[in-house]
Amino acid sequence: MEAEEFSLVRDMFRTFATRFRSGTADVDPAALDAAQKALDELGLAELRRTSHPAATAQECALLAEEHGKQPLGTSTLGTVLLAPELLRLLGDDTPAGVGATPTIALARDLRFAGADTSELVAWDTQGADSALAVAADGTVTSVELGAPAPGIDLLRAVRAVPSDAPGKVVGRLDADALRRWQAYALVIVTSELVGAAGAFVDLSVEYARERRQYGREIGSFQAVQHILADATVLVAACTSATRYAAWSLDNETPAAALTAARVAKAEVNTSALEAVHSGMQVFGGIAQTWEHIAHLYLRKVRLGATILATSADLLSTLAEPEAAR
Amino acid sequence: MTDTPLEFGDPSDLEQLRGEFRGWLAEHPLPERGADEPLPVFLHRWHKQLHSGGWVGLDVPEEFGGRGLTTLHQVAISDELGAQQAPGVPRIGYLAQALLKFSNDEQRGRLLPRMLAGEDVWCQGFSEPGAGSDLAGMTTVAEKRGDHYIVRGQKLWTSYAQYSNLCLLLARTDRDGVAHKSISAFVLPLDRPGVTVRPLKAHNGDDEFCELFLDDVRIEESELIGSEGDGWALAMTTVSYERNALDTGHLSKYGLLVERLRGIVGERGDDLPDGLRSEVGRCFVDYEVLVAHTRRRIAERIAGAEAPFDSSIDKLLMTRTEQRLYETALKVIPESLYEDGNEVFAEYLYSRAASVYGGTSQIQRNIIAKRILRLPSGK
Repeated sequence: MEAEEFSLVRDMFRTFATRFRSGTADVDPAALDAAQKALDELGLAELRRTSHPAATAQECALLAEEHGKQPLGTSTLGTVLLAPELLRLLGDDTPAGVGATPTIALARDLRFAGADTSELVAWDTQGADSALAVAADGTVTSVELGAPAPGIDLLRAVRAVPSDAPGKVVGRLDADALRRWQAYALVIVTSELVGAAGAFVDLSVEYARERRQYGREIGSFQAVQHILADATVLVAACTSATRYAAWSLDNETPAAALTAARVAKAEVNTSALEAVHSGMQVFGGIAQTWEHIAHLYLRKVRLGATILATSADLLSTLAEPEAAR
Repeated sequence: MTDTPLEFGDPSDLEQLRGEFRGWLAEHPLPERGADEPLPVFLHRWHKQLHSGGWVGLDVPEEFGGRGLTTLHQVAISDELGAQQAPGVPRIGYLAQALLKFSNDEQRGRLLPRMLAGEDVWCQGFSEPGAGSDLAGMTTVAEKRGDHYIVRGQKLWTSYAQYSNLCLLLARTDRDGVAHKSISAFVLPLDRPGVTVRPLKAHNGDDEFCELFLDDVRIEESELIGSEGDGWALAMTTVSYERNALDTGHLSKYGLLVERLRGIVGERGDDLPDGLRSEVGRCFVDYEVLVAHTRRRIAERIAGAEAPFDSSIDKLLMTRTEQRLYETALKVIPESLYEDGNEVFAEYLYSRAASVYGGTSQIQRNIIAKRILRLPSGK
């Protein structure tokens, strides 16, 4: 997409996100439906749908970052960015048996599904009518959505996948397409977490400029300044790793892109969480309440650190040279 | 921080350059280091060899002895040196950038090609016994006497001055003015009468640090870089490049060790003590994040961003990478703890300096808080 065109799309999405952000942990189902409807009207699900996608992976990653900045309950990741890319990797035509608005399904612990796909959950299901699951061998299955499942991220709808209704196999990714899918999914999820951590640190910096204790702004205390400086470094590290991984998807081999995506996820798993912890420390007591939005960010990054790949998975894999894996 | 797509370079173009470089390296193997040869002398020979193949200063304009390519090309070469188990790129990037920005055309034409070719070896005379990170506390004075200056004072941590012939020297040209306007920069030949270099043994046994005594040293007006009072801005430019792992050649050094540790994990796999495998994975992540960060910084630099204070973020990331890496290396290569003079242990000791040189970590955090986050100043 041309630079100006992307700026327009991003600004449009930013306006949408600002308008429909949730200012509270008590999410109103009617407001969520309205937000999802407004998102659908933006038509972003078409961005990655065709064999020559309108948007690059890097542009999609930036949209996921925008999504993460605000407390938003729409399924921007699942239905708009992830499922369409999976269908694109399967081919131009939507295979028979796929719903109109699929999202994705993951293993029960929200990691990439392994060989056993009998226990799945549909992830990011706001407005979705089905989910696509990718098995370890690349087989893609369309599954039905069951009852809402509880989750700690209050802004992300998750549904059970009924075990008595077998999914329909809709296609198969070859080894490279599977790597591409995994790298893309890691980059999109990671981008959301980068956006969340960065925005929350920004909020805590603003707070530190205004909040007064002992007769002066708390941001003038060196102890507070150093917490925020360290959080800024962590957010910069997350951003650099994720932006580079997104670019690698557009420009490098699937294997190189997957390594870059794993690096980014490993960085974000620890650093985004630590940055949010730091921001909460600066907010002090108010951040420990149900009313304050701090816990919405914490819930997102805390759960996000386990989604698709945990640090334990990644660090162990990345400890060996590629050739030895 | 930009929120639009970034260009990290054309991979096929960079891959071609890497290929050419690998081919050249195969025909020009590393020189052997003599048993008693000091490291700087060995690295200087390596520098000259790299230069003979056109592999120094890739991002310096051709008219000043470089190749006129982008900094992304320089990153690729730095990366490749690490991957090929070779010593890093010569540590001159930050000096070259400061000269490019502040010296006049005559000085650029005279000094830069010789610097890139390794004909001149430079050291840096910034720190003083009473002023390390606090440059404003500098007391070395350069007094104007008609067409020249007379310099008096003492410098410290002038790395490898005993192997150098030129020094980028900072001195006060106005004793009473505010620091930002009263410091000037000079090129000082170290064989000048009145200059005494005394090596100082560092904690790792290395003779890197030196003291530099300046007793009524004459410096010509033509040896002033930029104008009087430009020294502060020049120092800030120098340290901002010095805080970037690429410009100091650290990137390839870290890459070399990370690959060595990963190789050991590949061979010994499960014999490693619990948790160590993950720690090596963490070092790889730190290193790759630093490379990605450097590339992003450079992509932004090429796109025209001028954000000098961001270098404090770069420095803290570099410090994190280096300190965790050497700490891990001591565990993966335990013999490094039991042999006197072991190279890994010496590098571990030196990694403790990463949070001190180029401005301490605390100074970097202050800069981020005040200049980037615009937090209110303390009283």
